[in-house]
Order: sequence, then structure tokens, then C-alpha cells
Amino acid sequence: MSSSSSSSSSSLTCGRLAIWTIIAVLLQILGLLLFVLGFFPVKPALSGVSGMESYRDPMSSSRKDQEQINHLSQNQLRSLYKDMSKISPTFDRLILMVVDGLPAEFVLGRGDRPPTKAMMEAMPYSQSLLSHGKAIGYHAKAAPPTVTMPRLKAMVSGAIGGFLDVAFNFNSQAFRDDNLLGQLYSIGWKMVMLGDETWIKLFPGLFTRHDGVSSFYVKDTVEVDHNVSRHLGAELTATDWDLLILHYLGLDHVGHIGGRSSILMIPKLKEMDEVIKKIHMSSDLPQDSSNGRTLLMVVSDHGMTENGNHGGSSYEETDSLALFIGIGSKLPDYALATRKTASQVDIAPTLALLFGVPIPKNNIGVLMSEAFDSLADDQKLRALELNSWQLLRLLQAQLPALSCSSYPCDDYDGAQCSGINACKVSIEQRFCCLFSKATTLHSSWTSQKHRTSRSNNSEDARSIVAAYNEFLRTSSEWLSRRATDKPPELLAPGIASMAVSCAMFLFILFCLCKEVYLKENQGLLDCSYKWHLDEVYALVVVVIFVFSMGSSSMVEEEQYIWHFLTSTLYLIFLRKSFQSPSPGAVPSMGNVIKRLKSSNHCPIYSIIFVLICGRILRGWHQGGVNWVHLPDISKWLEQTDPPTIQSFQIVSLLLIIGMSSFNLYLLEPKRRIVLVIQVSLFLSGFLLVMHIMEFQGTVFGQSNYSSTLIAQSIYATIIMTVIVTVLQAPWVTPVSVGDHQVNNESHLVNSASKDMEIRSLLPAVKYSLHLIGLTYTVCWCLLQLLLQQPVNAMPVLLLFFQILGSMFYFSNNETHSKHWVEVAALYFLGMAGHFGLGNSNTLATIDVAGAFIGISSHSTLLSGVLMFIITMASPMLFLLSLVFYISTKDAGYLLLSKNGDLGHLLQMMIGFPCLVPLALNSVMLTAFTIVLFAMRNHLFVWSVFSPKYLYVLATAVCVYVGVFIVAATGIYSCLVIFLRERTLRS
Amino acid sequence: MEKKPDTNQCIRGRHPNSVTVSASFLLHLSSVLGVAITYWVAQNFFFINLISNPTQTLILLWVVQSPILILLFSLLRQDPQQCSYWKAVGRGIIGLPIGALIMAFCGVMLGAPIGIQDLGKTVNWSLLMSLFTIVPTACVFGSSCKDWLRIFAHTEPGGVIDIIICVPSHGALLGAWFGAWPMPLDWERQWQEWPVCVSVGAVAGYLIGIVVSLGFVLVVGERRELVKEE
Repeated sequence: MSSSSSSSSSSLTCGRLAIWTIIAVLLQILGLLLFVLGFFPVKPALSGVSGMESYRDPMSSSRKDQEQINHLSQNQLRSLYKDMSKISPTFDRLILMVVDGLPAEFVLGRGDRPPTKAMMEAMPYSQSLLSHGKAIGYHAKAAPPTVTMPRLKAMVSGAIGGFLDVAFNFNSQAFRDDNLLGQLYSIGWKMVMLGDETWIKLFPGLFTRHDGVSSFYVKDTVEVDHNVSRHLGAELTATDWDLLILHYLGLDHVGHIGGRSSILMIPKLKEMDEVIKKIHMSSDLPQDSSNGRTLLMVVSDHGMTENGNHGGSSYEETDSLALFIGIGSKLPDYALATRKTASQVDIAPTLALLFGVPIPKNNIGVLMSEAFDSLADDQKLRALELNSWQLLRLLQAQLPALSCSSYPCDDYDGAQCSGINACKVSIEQRFCCLFSKATTLHSSWTSQKHRTSRSNNSEDARSIVAAYNEFLRTSSEWLSRRATDKPPELLAPGIASMAVSCAMFLFILFCLCKEVYLKENQGLLDCSYKWHLDEVYALVVVVIFVFSMGSSSMVEEEQYIWHFLTSTLYLIFLRKSFQSPSPGAVPSMGNVIKRLKSSNHCPIYSIIFVLICGRILRGWHQGGVNWVHLPDISKWLEQTDPPTIQSFQIVSLLLIIGMSSFNLYLLEPKRRIVLVIQVSLFLSGFLLVMHIMEFQGTVFGQSNYSSTLIAQSIYATIIMTVIVTVLQAPWVTPVSVGDHQVNNESHLVNSASKDMEIRSLLPAVKYSLHLIGLTYTVCWCLLQLLLQQPVNAMPVLLLFFQILGSMFYFSNNETHSKHWVEVAALYFLGMAGHFGLGNSNTLATIDVAGAFIGISSHSTLLSGVLMFIITMASPMLFLLSLVFYISTKDAGYLLLSKNGDLGHLLQMMIGFPCLVPLALNSVMLTAFTIVLFAMRNHLFVWSVFSPKYLYVLATAVCVYVGVFIVAATGIYSCLVIFLRERTLRS
Repeated sequence: MEKKPDTNQCIRGRHPNSVTVSASFLLHLSSVLGVAITYWVAQNFFFINLISNPTQTLILLWVVQSPILILLFSLLRQDPQQCSYWKAVGRGIIGLPIGALIMAFCGVMLGAPIGIQDLGKTVNWSLLMSLFTIVPTACVFGSSCKDWLRIFAHTEPGGVIDIIICVPSHGALLGAWFGAWPMPLDWERQWQEWPVCVSVGAVAGYLIGIVVSLGFVLVVGERRELVKEE
């Protein structure tokens, strides 16, 4: 009642504030979910590996083959597959030559036009093969993102991964889905790999011989290819391999340096042509049985733009090549042999069928029919049938209602089928109809085959091929659209609800500001509101940041922005701290120096200290994308010997524990819980020292039992400390009753008794929050010292110093900024520190090794949580330090209001620390969502903006968790102390 | 030096602490001309410019500009009775390296590189910045803390002298700050290197500040005329 009577003007009570905030958060999460589901579709994929069931009709359900396969040897499996497929293999060996970044236009021309004269002359041998009908070339359209690794995966598995697949398989980890190489390996093929080491990372242990080259040195266009070609002579004469993969990176590097029309391009094409010639000559000549027939397949993973970049979805980038050399083309003229288009995923089923292995399970490609022209009609139809069965299985996984056996498709004839597009027939019926049309024709053809004449046969066969192709194309297109489609009916409401929640946050924050500062101004007898530079600048930071996110290079180099903006804010604080009215009467230089020496001008030093820490953090990791090679402190440290890094770690640890112990020591009054915290900090520090001394030198991954044990006990100590502190601190805090406690603010106590009651709570709440906040911060730092890479120990210490320095500055009364500016400053420091710990907006910088520290058994969830803790270390640290921050604020400020119920106290204390991060995060999240949506056709949407979006999502989660912890801790402490005071009073 | 009382008289007008509009116009004109002619000379006689030889060009700029600014602003010293002209010049000369230290600190805190190979660039850039911001104030106000705080901490220029010192120096600071923004872009241009675009931003901000300050001076001068007439 008191709140409504005393503050009738303010409509914002604590409860309403909380409810509106929660509604806004829920709205934001809903919007995020809608947007993410729409923008990054997760397609259901079949697990497992294709086996013998590939050769059976999916309509007749029998599942007994899986166990048998395990018992078969590789050779038995090979012959079994050969028998079941009923297709006689045309080739025995495959040479897969990948020319990174070669646009098909260079070899096949664009549209009706043949390639330019210069290109024709650059590749004379390939052109002669094409014009003499010894090769078939395809424009194989690649799906975005047109970067090497996802494209290699698409080629060997026939599946288009969604972005999230790419994201979750970061760091080029082994490719576990069903793929061509795995299938070939299972039938006993020996494989040799020369070239880009991405293959070795994707398929570890699969190759009997390999010589990987790194694609890191983009400026090198000669050595990368020489490293591949130097083995070529020996490998071509060797007979111990069945699959030879050559991955030439030089052409891509030429593109990156000089674009399509670089002067190095023609020589590089000539070099590639020489390689093709050499391979073709050597595999052409010995057509004896021992070597077998060899198929040379020249493919490129993606094309390139005029400038030589790739990653996006323009025609120039997606126009990749698939060239079969060795398959006699029946095509009469050159033009027909070069104008075929296919999809890059079509390579997988084509090769699988040519070499007699099951088609990989998640393949959405369609076989390239010209490659099977040399086969007899029945074998060709069989290949189409196998491809259709595989696609039908995949369709059934995505459309559970698809079960053609029950559907009376037999009634449909061709006319109805073609008209199906017009009328509203469900997609399931359409697939069923197309499939059963083809199979019905096929089965009747098979039964008639022996009776009718040959010419009639091939006429029928052509119509069956057409029927199969229609089914295959339709389903393949549908499946690939499923993988890349962005439905606007999900995206639009998602963005809208995020925008609404963002507006709500800003409005709530505005109301809170109005309420708090109007009261404050009343107290200061100053009604006209004057904006200070730091407040204006804090808003400017947000605006600048939002606009800079529209530029891809600003996203790549975000660390510069955050450091620059945050340092500027602290320089403005520095200026502000000079503004404070000078105590001396006659100001002069000497006086200023005297003031600087006196202790009440420590704020200036503390800001300079924070700035210097920030600058060292900035120099610790170069970060970003474009200047990542420049020297920085972490690179220098990694070159030194391990003891140096270890000593850095130990020093950081000792300083963190020392500083926090000193802080605890200064805390008055002493309680037993302080001792408990102290002891447990020392204990975890001791354990950490043990961990650092013993196990940091050893290689990650080789985690032995005792190191896991120590890590686990550190976890246990830290978690116990936090839990005990949070639960116990409010209970053991000294609570004073009434006016017994004479504190600094006692001279202000002259208002209503209700106010006094709440005022007497304040020291206790501050004491308890100080304890809890310090414990949170220190424990988080200790956890980071365990989990982060050894070079990051010092940055963790610097972040801790930044927190202490900022707290010291904010707790000073003279230079009080607005509450929300201070919280925003802490948030900005957290974001700047995020990059100071070596993170960037590419997924490559996520530290995966740390995510397995102290985990004895493999658990995806636990590793994920640890990875989140490592990646989001700095923003979380600063959010947790907000509890500490609440406790450092002056109590006089908190009680400027006249009405003093508990709700109001809570609103004053945790209102800003909770709302400001939420509002800042929601502005940035909403802005970047809109940027991502606007950039959905941008060149870098997959390589720059989407990874950044994942980081934005992680930051959002981090803010939710952090704010929840801050709010819960604040509410719990206040409630407990309020209750204890009540009981003491009564 | 016989002319000294005369120049003093003509610049200061009747009030000891005020400066005429035309005097401030002349002062700014000479500093603008100084910058322009120096750059022209650098380009046409030494064949260097800010992009190809940043260090040499910066040295040329501050070496030429510092006598102009120090000598001119010392004429405006706040307390001509107690402080001789040469003392004001001495304050300016001392202020130059001290201001450069402050500027270098701010620049490094905002991300300026600190490697040995960038040392020369940073030093010369901060000397130039110091010349635009700290040196005029040092010449005019010496060690008077109140005036320093008024100009740099509160940014509340009072009279004409305050305006012609405060506005261009803040212009230079803001210009340098905005000049740093193109640096992280991946355009791979040479002018994106430290300290080219920051120096260009500072000079541009300084020149804009001069124009704006002249506008202010005109307004203030008119107001004073009005007050006098009344």
C-alpha cells in the first residue's frame, strides 16, 4: 500500500517490472527460435551406412542384412555387392583429381559460348579429349557455402549439409556420415591421397599413403602443386592403389591473389592440363588386366568470382566442373559434350554406381546418365532403379506419410501425372505417382524383354529412363530445396517478435531511468535534465556498433571495434574524473599534482589501470581474419619454452587469489564464512598449481586418470564454494535491528520509520552481496585458469584486474556516472575481453581441446557446456561481477526514494544490472538478425555473417544465464535478510 | 622586437584579455596556410606525401607548424603583465613533448601499434597532435589548472581566446578518432595503415574546427559589440 500512496506518479513497481521483463525475454526467445528454425533448417538425416538393403526394393520391408555384413570380409562384400547390383563395373580404378576453385567456364565455356581462346589454348589436351568424344564435361552446380570442406563432403556423400552441420563440424573434424570413400574402403579399396590436407582431416586413417599440403599459405601458388605432382610419376606406375586423390590448391591461390584474369592463371591451367595429359597417357596405355581400367575424374570443388573470392552463391562461384575422362562419349559433337549441367552432389551416386558400391544414405544427387551410356539397357535401368530406391528411402525419412505400397498409384497414367502440378495433390502422392509409374514401366519391360524385338526394346527403355529421371529430378530438387530453403512465414514473425521485445526492453529501461533520475534530480534541486558526455557516448557506442555490423570486414575485425569503443568510454570516464570540483581554493598545476598524490584521486589511476589492462589484452591475441598473422604476445609466448608459460600461469593464479584474499581481508566485520571462502580458495588454488605443474606440459587429449581426477576435484571445490557462499552468506551476515548500528549514512536517517527499516537492511545486503559477488568472480576466474589454454592465463588475470579497477572507480562517490552507463561499461568491457581471450567471429577459434578437461567419459552435453564456458568466459565474468558491482554502490543512492518497501529496494538494486545487459543484448541481437536477413544473398553470408550469428546467439544465452544469476542472487539475499530482520524485530 | 608592444596592442584590442575577431582570423589563416604550404612543399619539392612517407611528412608538418603556432599563440598569453613573451614561448616548447606523451598514451590506449617499427610514426603523430591540442593552451594559459580544466575537462570556452584554442583542438581530437574507423576495413589500401588516416582525420578535424571556431568568434564578437553599444 505504501508504494502506491507515496509514489502515485510512478507506475513501475518491482513486480510489474519483473513481469514485463520476463515477457520481453520470452518473446525474444520465441522470436529467436522462429528465426533460427527458418534460417538454418535442420534436415532430418538418415543415420548409418548403406549396405545390402540398397539393392532391395524399399517397399518390401525386410531387415536382416545388417548383421550379416559384419561377418563378411572386404572381398566377399565386394563380390556380394557386385552380384546384387547386377551392374558390371566398367572401371576398376579411379583417379579423382580435384582442382580447387576451377570454374567450369574455363574448360566448358558459358552457356552456348565455348571458352575463350586463351583458355582453349591453355588446356589443349583436355579440349582435344572433349572434342574427340573421349571425355564428358558437366557444369556441376555447387551449393553454397562454396568453400572447400563442405563441398568435398557434398561430393563424397551426395548430401548438402545445412549451415548448422557445417558449424557443428567445425575444426575439420572427421566426416562420419555415410560417404563414397567409406563405402569404397569397406570393399577393400586402397586409397592414396596427395594434396590438400582437408581430406586427411576428413578421413583420418583411410589412406594407405598420403602427402598433405596446407592451404594456409595462400600466397604460395607453386609449391602447393609441386608437392602433389612430384609423387605423380611413382604413383601412376604403382599398382597398389584403387583410388588416387589429387587435390591441387594452386589455382585457388592464384585466384585469391589476382582474380580470374590473373597473369598466373594461364600458366596454372597449362600445368593442370599437363597433369591431365600425363595421367591420361599413363592410364590409357596399359590396358592389361593387372592394372584394370582407370577412370580419371577431374572435378573442382567450387568456382570463383572475378576477384577470385568464393563462398557465396553467385553463378561464378557455384559453377564447378565435373569432367569424366575415359568414358567414351557417344555424343557426336563438342558442343553437346560440354553443355551438360548437373549438380555437384550427382558425383556421389554416379561414382557409387560405376564402381559397384551402395549409394551413400543421405545422397540427394541423381546419377549422370551419360556416364552409363556404354552399358546395356537393362543395366542402365537397374542403375536408375537403385538411385530411385535410395532417394525414396530418404524421402520416406522426411515424409513419414510416404508409403506408396498402400496408395493406389497404379490407376494414374502419364497424362494425370503431368497434370499433377496444376491440381492440388499432396507432395507425397506426387512422388508416389512418379515412382510407381517408372517402376511399373520397368517391371513390365523386364518381363517383356525376352519376347519382343531389340529395337522396340530400346524405344521402351528410353521412355522408362525418362520416367525414372522425372522422379529422380523432382525428388532431388525437393530434397535440396528442403536443405537450403528459408521460409518467410517463419522468418518474418521471428524478426517481428524480436523487434517488439527489443522495444519493450528499451521502454522498460526508459521508465526505470525516468523514475530513478527524476527522484534523484528532485533531491539535487535540479529539474532540467542535462545529458553528460558519457551517457551520450554510451548510446553512440550502440548505434555505431549496430551500423558497423552491416560491413563484413567490421564483423571479421570486431575486436578492434570493441576495444576502440570501450577504451574511448574509459577515456571519457577519465575526463569526467578530472571534472570533479577541486577541493583546493587556488587551482594550479602544483595543486593538481598534489591532488593526484592524495588518496581521493585514485579513480584516475584506476581508470588508467583499466585502460592499460585493456591495451595489453588487445595485444595478447591479434585476432580477426585479415591481420591474424601479425605478431602478438600469445604467438611470442608459444614460441618460448613451456616453463615461461607455466610461470605466467602461476603468477596469474597467485595474483588472483592474493587480490581476492586481500579484498576479503578488508571486509568488515569478519565472519566465519569469510574464512571458509578463504580456505577453499587456497585449496582450489593449490589444486590448480598441481594441475599446471604436472599436466600442462603433456599433450591435450592424452589426459590420464590423475589429471582428470585433479580437474574434477577443482570443479567440485569451486562448485561447493559457490553453493555454500550463496546459500549461507545472507544467513550469517550481521543484521542490525533499528538504530543499533551507527553507520556512515546514519545522519541521513530522518524520514519515515518504514524507510529506516529498509535502510537498516542495506549494510547487511551489501555485505552479503559483496561476499557472493567476489566469490562468483574469483571462482569463475579460477575455473577459466583451469580450462583456458595456458597462454590465456594472463588475460584472465587482466580481466580480473579490469573488474577490480572498474569497481574501484564506480564505488567512488565523487565521480558518479549514471548507473546504467556503468553497467553498460562493464558489459562493453566483457565484450572487448571476449576478443582479448583470442576469440573471433570465425568458428575456428573455438577451443575444443579445453572442452574435455576433467571429463572421464565422453559426454556431448558436458563437453558442450565446458566449451560454452570457455568461449563465453569474458562476457559471463563481467555479468557475474555485476553482483559485486551492486554491493559497491553507495547506499545513499539506493535510498533516495521515500517509499521503502522491499520491492522498491530490489528494483533499485538489481533493476539496472539486469535490464541494461538485457536491453543491450536485445538491441544487438535484433540488429544483427536484421542484418543477417538482409545479407542472406550476400557473398559472405555463410563464411562471415552466419558464424557471427552463432556467437550472437551464444552471447544471448550467456546474458540470459548471467542476468538470471544476478537477479536470483539479489532476490534471495534480500529476502533472507528481510526475513531475519523481521524475526529479530518480533 | 620593438614591434612587440604594437602587435600586442593590435591583437588584444582595448581589453587585456580579449582578442579581436580579425586577429583570430589572421592567426588561424596563418596556421591553415602553414599546413597547406608545408604539405604542398613536401609533395612538390621533397616528393613525399603522407601515404608514401608518413614519418617524414609528419616530421615536416610539425617542424614547420610548431614555430608558427608557438610564436603566434604566445602573443595571446593570458597574463602579459606577469609573463614575458619568451616565457610563453618556453611554455609552448615544453608543452610540446609533454602533450606528445599524453597524446601517445591516448593513441596507444586506443590501439595504436607499439612495435619498434611503428615507434617513429607514433612519436611524430603524437607531436603533431600535441601541436594542435596541447601547445596552444600551454602557450596561452601556462600551468593554470583552472583554465586547463575549463577547456579540456568541461569544454566550456568563455571568451574569444578560449574559443580559438578549444574548438580546433577538439576538432583535431574528434577528427583523429573518426579517422581511425577505416583502419579495420579490408580494402588493403596503403592509407589505411597507422597513422595515415588518423593524421588525415586529425588535420581535417583541425581545419574544420578552425572554421567553426571562426564562426563562434564572429557570433561572440557581435554579441560583445552589442553589449558595448548598450
